[in-house]
Amino acid sequence: MSHSFQYAQPRQLSEAFDILDAYGRDASLLAGGTDLVVGLRNGRIAPRMIVDLKRISGLAPGIAETEGRISISAPTPLTDIITDRRIQDHFPALVEAARTVGSVQIRNRATLTGNICNASPAADTAPALLAYGAGVVLISRRGSRLVPLEEFLLGPRRTSLGAGEIAAAVEIPKLSGRTGSRFDRLTRRRGVDLATISLCCLVGSQVTRFAYGAVGPKPFAVTDESGVLADRESDPEARMALLSDFVAQATPISDLRGGREYRQAMLLVLSQRVLRTAIARRDRT
Amino acid sequence: MTENFVTFTVNGEARRIRVFPRTTLLDALRWQLDLTGTKKCCAEGECGACTVLLDGRAVNSCLVLAIEVDQATVLTIEGLETAGRLSRLQDAFLAEGAIQCGFCIPGMVMAAHALLAEMPRPTEADVREGLSGNLCRCAGYQRIVGAVLAAADGARS
Amino acid sequence: MNGDRVGASVRRVGGHERVTGQQKFVGDIRLDDMLHVKLVTVDCAHARILSINSEHARALPGVRDVVSAADLPNPMPRFGPIYQDRPVLAAAQTRFHGEPVAADIAQTEQSGEEAAGLFKVRYDELPAVTTIAAALDPSMPLVQDPEFRTGPHAKTNLLSEWRFGWGETETPAADQVLDNTYTFPMVTHFAIEPHCFLAAPDQGGVTVWSAVQHPFVLQQVIARLLDLPLAKVRVHAPDPGGAFGGKQHAKYEPLLALLAVRLGRPVRLELTLGETFQAVRRTAFEIRLRSGFASDGTLCFQDAECNALVGAYADIAPRVVSKACYLMCGPYRVPSARIHARALLSHTPPATAFRGFGTPQVAWALESQMDEAARRLGIDRLEIRLKNLARPGEQFIPGDKPADGNWPEALRRAAEEIGWETPVAPGRGRGIAVGVKASATTGASYAIVRLHFDGSATVLAATSDMGQGARTVLAQVAAQELGIGVDQVRIVMGDTAIVPFDLQTSASRSVVFMGTAVLAACGDIHAKLQAMACEAFGLPPESVKVTPGMVRVPSRKLTFAELLSEAFAGVRGEVIGVGSRRGERIASHPLGGPPAFYEFSCTACEVEVDRETGEVLIVKHVSVADVGKALNPAQARSQDEGAAVMGLGHSLMEHLILDERGRILNLGALDYRVPTTKDMPLEMRSLLVENGDGPGPYGSKGAGEGGLFGVAPALAGAVADAAGVVIRELPLTPERIWDAIRSEPPRTGPGSSPESCEPSL
Repeated sequence: MSHSFQYAQPRQLSEAFDILDAYGRDASLLAGGTDLVVGLRNGRIAPRMIVDLKRISGLAPGIAETEGRISISAPTPLTDIITDRRIQDHFPALVEAARTVGSVQIRNRATLTGNICNASPAADTAPALLAYGAGVVLISRRGSRLVPLEEFLLGPRRTSLGAGEIAAAVEIPKLSGRTGSRFDRLTRRRGVDLATISLCCLVGSQVTRFAYGAVGPKPFAVTDESGVLADRESDPEARMALLSDFVAQATPISDLRGGREYRQAMLLVLSQRVLRTAIARRDRT
Repeated sequence: MTENFVTFTVNGEARRIRVFPRTTLLDALRWQLDLTGTKKCCAEGECGACTVLLDGRAVNSCLVLAIEVDQATVLTIEGLETAGRLSRLQDAFLAEGAIQCGFCIPGMVMAAHALLAEMPRPTEADVREGLSGNLCRCAGYQRIVGAVLAAADGARS
Repeated sequence: MNGDRVGASVRRVGGHERVTGQQKFVGDIRLDDMLHVKLVTVDCAHARILSINSEHARALPGVRDVVSAADLPNPMPRFGPIYQDRPVLAAAQTRFHGEPVAADIAQTEQSGEEAAGLFKVRYDELPAVTTIAAALDPSMPLVQDPEFRTGPHAKTNLLSEWRFGWGETETPAADQVLDNTYTFPMVTHFAIEPHCFLAAPDQGGVTVWSAVQHPFVLQQVIARLLDLPLAKVRVHAPDPGGAFGGKQHAKYEPLLALLAVRLGRPVRLELTLGETFQAVRRTAFEIRLRSGFASDGTLCFQDAECNALVGAYADIAPRVVSKACYLMCGPYRVPSARIHARALLSHTPPATAFRGFGTPQVAWALESQMDEAARRLGIDRLEIRLKNLARPGEQFIPGDKPADGNWPEALRRAAEEIGWETPVAPGRGRGIAVGVKASATTGASYAIVRLHFDGSATVLAATSDMGQGARTVLAQVAAQELGIGVDQVRIVMGDTAIVPFDLQTSASRSVVFMGTAVLAACGDIHAKLQAMACEAFGLPPESVKVTPGMVRVPSRKLTFAELLSEAFAGVRGEVIGVGSRRGERIASHPLGGPPAFYEFSCTACEVEVDRETGEVLIVKHVSVADVGKALNPAQARSQDEGAAVMGLGHSLMEHLILDERGRILNLGALDYRVPTTKDMPLEMRSLLVENGDGPGPYGSKGAGEGGLFGVAPALAGAVADAAGVVIRELPLTPERIWDAIRSEPPRTGPGSSPESCEPSL
């Protein structure tokens, strides 16, 4: 890569905030680097300063569980999330989603917050996180705030991360009652790929939530509170009508990975499949 | 642009080099440490030809800045041999006929090495999954997967 | 001892170096005082260059020089294997996306890259010809300047055309006539090793390093361009990290050679993967095939119109078109044939040789058509092929080399292995296809074998080992003939100053051409040993018998080493054998001569199609190659396995996507998809038919390309069988299959064949 920049490896959060204040928009945050370094190489970004988050003592990698939620700190590689028993138990669709991000080599470096902050419309973890109602913890000198993911993601490569802020963790509230969830996606080949479409379904006893990715400027979620989708005995036509309504809210484009019509049609096909699987998982637990 | 020092262990040996922030670990290995075994192909984390182990984990060295690995441990293909003896995995690659042009092989072997360290008894599906980040255009993968399974079997007996 | 030689799956020579990272590929070579070259391009395919401002690039610390067309000799030096049409640097115009207009030379790769970004190139973008229709459209711009063209088509984008055929001139009657058009898109080689070149001035001449498959052809090109004697041009050709034809002919070596002489220092250029995609691709074909069949499935006639889209410069693509189209009718018997083929220029990367050399494209059309005929006539797809397939010794192209293998046997074995006669599960389908390619028609290979004092040997052979295992099989041949183990043989390749002439490594020719040369060189050694024994023991020739490793005289037998020890005594020495195989050009033959052999292969597969998403799962993949004799069976099978997966790539997922400005949109591994471990068939088998009927050593033929020929039509046939849709365009992406399924009228029953439907998308 030909662009020159400086690199800082702060040991304290206050150091990191100082650098962000000094460089403003000319600073980029570095966690796993799997998006950032590609962006540097192809000239998509040209920061003057790169701030490595991985050695900040207040921001160690790790997954913490409290009574009501699970928190995944920013420098935690996806591999650690995939292999964590608590995530596997509480948020299996997130594990499914994380497993589709790149290859093993990518997942050993890439982070959840990085995936979200990059805010690609096709970010694989986003549909799962949206379905589970995740939020992002943003910290700054002024304190910390928790932003629901659907408010954090604004559009392609745009988030509500403010000046002087660092995304410190992703928090996911634990689910109550019996639930089942499933993430799936369609790709051009069975191997490592970007998603043509991606989706996640979370079904409880009454409420069903779907989240979709790669079919609009940002991943989005829709909820059915009527109970129709959650009921395996409900009228298939009514179910289809609801699902059709949901997928109609998507605005896929035609690009290198797929045509608009195909994406739209596949949303409905996969929605039916993930709903079936999510219900089966709910009823098995 | 200023250079920084970075000190890290490569194949068991402590090394100290000066790098620009933009120097990738891949370029530092190939140009400054003369370890040309690790290869450059896509340079964007899609092909796995540049796979090395960083603190025990397989990573694409083209996506790691050299400056990030200060105090870390790196293992490259050159570090698998010990005292002139090939590792069981390397020998399996030779015995199974898994090597054709050889350009993907360093990355492939490192990814397989990491896989077997995590999962000493992988199934065929595990191996396919674990190597799915390494592209090969010559071999069709069959014998490569076979070599990894043979090495795993060999470790058991 | 025999476990170690010809016919044994000996461990790959060079494997140890590759598995330890010691193998030096061209990109691993470091020369003292080396400078780094970076190419400067414009962001469209066809542009008129107005000005190039390199001021800021020059001023960047670390930049040693910048060069554009103005700094090169006038007239601009041009090169190319058929037409010398390609300029070393684009001058007034660029003709493909990625054609360089300038270059900078710097201390480091990074400063070179930074400098390249500082050039200011002013240009007018011009309309780009990127499709066959555009190339045929007289209102579109000419890709090449008529001033540099020869022949009747100089003022068009038609580069060359050919007409082949035999039989009745009027279209003969047939019970069933099919008329379909098949397309095969632009795909690229994507060897894992991107192109890399070095050059350095050397003793009044120049040395070039390139992982080139044809070092002697490159030597010739450089010598001519720099006006140097061949003896002063040295080409080092390290083993390529995959080539597949993309490293046969000169690309940027001429530029580097000129820069090395200009700067008086070694220079290096490593292309990025994206730049590599812009440098080499496969010839795209559109074939309209009209075929006539009798009601019992017998072929009556073939009438083919083939338009092939080559790139902005001819490279070797015209040869791809002529050779492949000459065999448009495949390995079948057909009384009447008309073939009209055209190579069309376009503002796209130069199409060059690519494994199969046009045969995958032709097989795509022909074998898909055979399936269609079978469906229309209600005949089994295996039976229709067996009915028409040429038998051994049959002259399937009148007046030309007859079928030199038992092709029906290979087809039957593939059918058996895939379980063709057994019922197929619901949702699944099977396909089967064959392909035949003419191997080398001319050429020359020389080999030197040096028998050392202790009986070990060194073989000098300029074949390029790009993964197919040439080093290994040539070592096996020498080991066999000299009666030693493979581990006692050194193979030296890839250095024109040391190794004798070999025309090229292509067309699966090396076992036959270079293998024969090595065999002959060993025979030369035998003859010399015999003469030595006669002299040493005072015997007539009839009393001395030389066999591999042994010399027998009436009183005793000696090993080669023992004979050398006695004959050479204290002064020592070695015995040098020279061998060659040549195939001269036959001007009266449409291809310059009949092929040394035909490469024939059969592919069969079973797939499962998800009708709702269009996704294809390959349950089983079988390939059968007719190889004469496998000198190294494991290597031969490995090549077929690799070819099978490479074929899956162009069948299911690969295509270069261009925008209307001729820019390639999927430059690089992110959006140009090739198969991964997860895309492998669930089960893959590769089989060899060995009837000892080849012209190479021990009855061998060449191999390595065949596994590619029939993959696309076999897969498409299986998809048609499983899902009832016929698709005539590649790749068979899930979206394309889904689109075909939803456009298809509903099936009326499990046995109903699909109506002939329009190509989708």
